[in-house]
Amino acid sequence: MTMSSRVRKLALTAHVTASVGWLGAVVGFLALAIAGLTSEQCQTAGAAYLAMKLIIRFVIVPLSLASLVTGLVSSLGTAWGLFRHYWVLAKLLLTILATSLLALHTQPVGRVARLATERMLSSTDLRQVRIQIVADAGAALLVLLVNTTLGVYKPRGMTRYGWRKQHQQKVWQP
Amino acid sequence: MADLERYPGTPRWVKVFGIFALVLLLLFVVLHLTGRGLGDHRRPGEYAPSGDGPRSPERGH
Repeated sequence: MTMSSRVRKLALTAHVTASVGWLGAVVGFLALAIAGLTSEQCQTAGAAYLAMKLIIRFVIVPLSLASLVTGLVSSLGTAWGLFRHYWVLAKLLLTILATSLLALHTQPVGRVARLATERMLSSTDLRQVRIQIVADAGAALLVLLVNTTLGVYKPRGMTRYGWRKQHQQKVWQP
Repeated sequence: MADLERYPGTPRWVKVFGIFALVLLLLFVVLHLTGRGLGDHRRPGEYAPSGDGPRSPERGH
């Protein structure tokens, strides 16, 4: 099924907006994670984790899901397809990976934020978890940068399935 | 003509990308299994109030 030009542009606009918004939100999240880990002021660290909890729940998770859904719509509704080109497939796998890891690692942020509401955070409180949050945010940023690069450059290369489909279309529509 | 219709194979960038992803995945799994990984999936009660280790007798010294 191929979408009309107007619908295709709308879907693409929604996908780019969600994906770039997700990237920007992760950059902000990483800045807060570093501030929360390195700040010597308890209030700053506590405020950082409370802000991170809100960002992950109300910005990052909705945008990641929106990016995934709009990406599926954009690929399935155009000639690119979902499994025909390697760059589309790579983007899909990376988005699923990033969304899954994100869902898995929302709990540690919630734990640190909960502790921050109960009392002043010291630099040793849940240190391992706070380091892990910085590493996760860095890894997520790397994945999203790779995704953006793939989306812009669209490197050549068809999958065997895509090649077969293209060949079938040539046979049926000479 | 038949040669033009033959599948040209997987591009080099896909192979490099795949190897890189596989190495990162293996590293992640190994770090996870050895307990030094990025993931920390203990339940809230298992966290010590200060510091980050679980409450176990061995860590008391």
